[in-house]
Amino acid sequence: MSTGAQREHSATASQAENAIHLPAPTQWPLILAVGLTLLFAGLVTNVMISALGVVMAVCGAVGWFRQVLPQEAHEMLPVTLEEIAIEREGRRVTRVEHLHPVAGRAITGISTYPISSGIKGGFAGGTVMILLAEIYGVVRFHSIWYVVNLLGGAGVAGWNAPTEHDLGTFHLAAFLIAIVIHTASSFLVGLLYGALLPILPRHPIVLGGLIAPALWTGLLHSTLGLLNPYFDDHINWYWFALSQVGYGLVAGWVVAREGRLKSLRDVPLSVRLGVETAEPLKHDDEGRR
Amino acid sequence: MAGGSIPVPGGLGSAADVAATEADGATWLEHLHSWVVTVDHKKLGVMYVLYALLFLVVGGIEALIIRIQLFFPDNHFVSAETFNRVFTMHGTTMIFFVAMPIVFGFGNYLMPLMLGVRDMAFPRLNAFSFWMSAFGGLLLYYSFIGGVGLQGAGSAPDVGWWAYAPLTSRAFSRGHSTDYWALALIVSGFGSIGAAINFIATAFCMRCKGMTLFRMPLFVWLYVVSSGLVLVAVSPLTAAQVMLTIDRYLGGHFFDTQAGGSAVVWAHFFWIFGHPEVYVLVLPAFAIINEVVPVFSRKAIFGYPAMVAASVGIGFVSLGVWAHHMFTIGMTSISNAFFVLSTMLVGIPTGIKIFNWIATMWGGKIRYRTPMLFAVGFLVQFLIAGLTGIILSVAPFNWQLHNSYFVIAHFHYVIVGAILFAIFSGIYYWFPKVTGRMLDERLGKWNFWLFVIGFHVCFDVMHIPGVLGMPRSIYTYEADRGWTGLNQIVSVGAIIQGIAIAILVYNMIHSALKGQEAGPDPWDAWTLEWATNSPPPPYNFAIEPVARSRRPLWDLKHPNDPDEPLEEG
Repeated sequence: MSTGAQREHSATASQAENAIHLPAPTQWPLILAVGLTLLFAGLVTNVMISALGVVMAVCGAVGWFRQVLPQEAHEMLPVTLEEIAIEREGRRVTRVEHLHPVAGRAITGISTYPISSGIKGGFAGGTVMILLAEIYGVVRFHSIWYVVNLLGGAGVAGWNAPTEHDLGTFHLAAFLIAIVIHTASSFLVGLLYGALLPILPRHPIVLGGLIAPALWTGLLHSTLGLLNPYFDDHINWYWFALSQVGYGLVAGWVVAREGRLKSLRDVPLSVRLGVETAEPLKHDDEGRR
Repeated sequence: MAGGSIPVPGGLGSAADVAATEADGATWLEHLHSWVVTVDHKKLGVMYVLYALLFLVVGGIEALIIRIQLFFPDNHFVSAETFNRVFTMHGTTMIFFVAMPIVFGFGNYLMPLMLGVRDMAFPRLNAFSFWMSAFGGLLLYYSFIGGVGLQGAGSAPDVGWWAYAPLTSRAFSRGHSTDYWALALIVSGFGSIGAAINFIATAFCMRCKGMTLFRMPLFVWLYVVSSGLVLVAVSPLTAAQVMLTIDRYLGGHFFDTQAGGSAVVWAHFFWIFGHPEVYVLVLPAFAIINEVVPVFSRKAIFGYPAMVAASVGIGFVSLGVWAHHMFTIGMTSISNAFFVLSTMLVGIPTGIKIFNWIATMWGGKIRYRTPMLFAVGFLVQFLIAGLTGIILSVAPFNWQLHNSYFVIAHFHYVIVGAILFAIFSGIYYWFPKVTGRMLDERLGKWNFWLFVIGFHVCFDVMHIPGVLGMPRSIYTYEADRGWTGLNQIVSVGAIIQGIAIAILVYNMIHSALKGQEAGPDPWDAWTLEWATNSPPPPYNFAIEPVARSRRPLWDLKHPNDPDEPLEEG
């Protein structure tokens, strides 16, 4: 059996040229480069160096133009075809076939949640997190701005060690930064939930709603002192963990109730991007896969 | 094994004989002339790489001078003024006259071969670009002689490779040293822009029959993205250098804070170039790894479309992160938050790439030859470099560590641990194609292990004095700071790396003269450069090749199991 590539190579070989045109070697680009360099070097040495550079640059440019106009200068290199032996592999090539889920480790997702479910879940969980955090702020400090300033204050450069009164009053920069941080985090973690929940065994909402927030809270508890010591001093870790769990449970629930889609991983990129519609795979292609 | 031979694109026969006869009969002067006037992409590629290796040795010697100076506290191995010049020239040399030319050299040599064509889109522009880059370096080093200027002050530039204003104003930088720095980078910038235009035009306009965009080797895709970044990023740098020259000679006030100018504007201009520049260099490193890892894992690259998308994504995101170098300048909170998030965002497409390289290796039949050893070193070290990059992207953390040796360690992890390791991997992989001879494997392993040990002794430890508060660019330090032992370990690591590079240089010279003959395809690879002789003839391919898949040479070698769809008959 021969491949199309081999047949096309053979066909072209019979029409091989006896000589090949290649661009002729030329000194003009070099002379232009020398000229421009001298032009600049003259600025810090002597004006005559620049003058010499201008002359050489003009000569280089004219010479270059004459190389390509009216017709590009070529040199002819004679060629006689010779075969280069490329070893054909006789070995059988092993391909990884689709494994049955019970037969091996290579279990790949055949269905997935839609991306939109992750986004919706992220924002729903983010809303619940805001509510829980605000309950803490209002009950403990009688202000809806306390938790906002605590989160957003990390990015306010001039805000050093604000008092509790400062944290309880509205601050535009901290408010905007808190919105950016919270929105981005909710969005990205929501996407992560959408991607990960299908591959978590058995109880995805429990794992995503309890265990993941517990791990995340533990990680932050151990590192926040380095990243933001002020935040670390003022945070209530029980409420923080509760708000994370609230986020996880709600985000997981929203993602799960949106339902699953069949994975498109076997179709071409252009179909997945929506540029082309899907068409049935050829029999040969399926066999090879 | 079913042996056999089939006509492949590189068949050349008597043409090679003719070329060989001409070369044999030529005097050394004629031979030299043929290189000086060449427009052949392969010769220009080789000249780029040799030029860069020469400056690698020069920049390496400058690094060793820095490390000797810092070996002891209160040391005076060189004067403070000389130290400033040495670290300025080291940084400028390594970025502009080692890393950039060497990646341009690889691209020049390999891109037309991989695309199955006979030359770059604009061969004469290619020659012009090389010479401009080369003369930029010579102009910079001429400053050691000419930098004194009319005032009798100065020598080589001493303002750091970032050359912050107002240090570059005439009041603080007398003589011509800073002018040489600015003019040399303008000259080499023309070369960089010309090379980038050529890469893009070649990839989009010069592919062989059947080589669709999504059949191009990932190597070519990465160079397209990197070249796009060069066009966008080098232009602001060139503009800033012109503005600086106007400030210094025509009474301009762009960066003169005493006359209404702004030093911060210079910082913005420089880093709008400076951070994408990291990606200009690391994307070609990715390109090399994309070729080496599959061949030595005996598997096709995992996730080709995702790799293309991630590369383009990195290109776009990298244009919006520059001000993470400027957190301590005092930007607004909104700006800080934006640049923290945008910097962290780069981790996503970069993570995709690392996962895909590991997935390519996973289950493969890995051959740990020297190119693969360097590629694995790249993977580990680039991951660590990325993690310290994420640490530095956190503004409060950055405020503590900015301008410390932690930052130096981080970016040397990127430049040496990732980019230089990938380049060494590429040298060992394509040296047989360029010279027709294999690099010595035993010396290669010595080179790798010494370099990897020296690298980690040097740059792992270098993070610690940074955390302890040692500032960058510092001339010397007092003995009671607790930095002495750490600096001595770092210096020992630098010396070990110097030995490793000396082994590489010896290996290249020795193997080029007496190495084992390589043949056209010593690694059993799959892209088109291995379908022609080693070294390739001037015209690359006597017959224009045809690509029917992403691995055209695989299709020829495996007629019963090609990547392309099987056809009847």
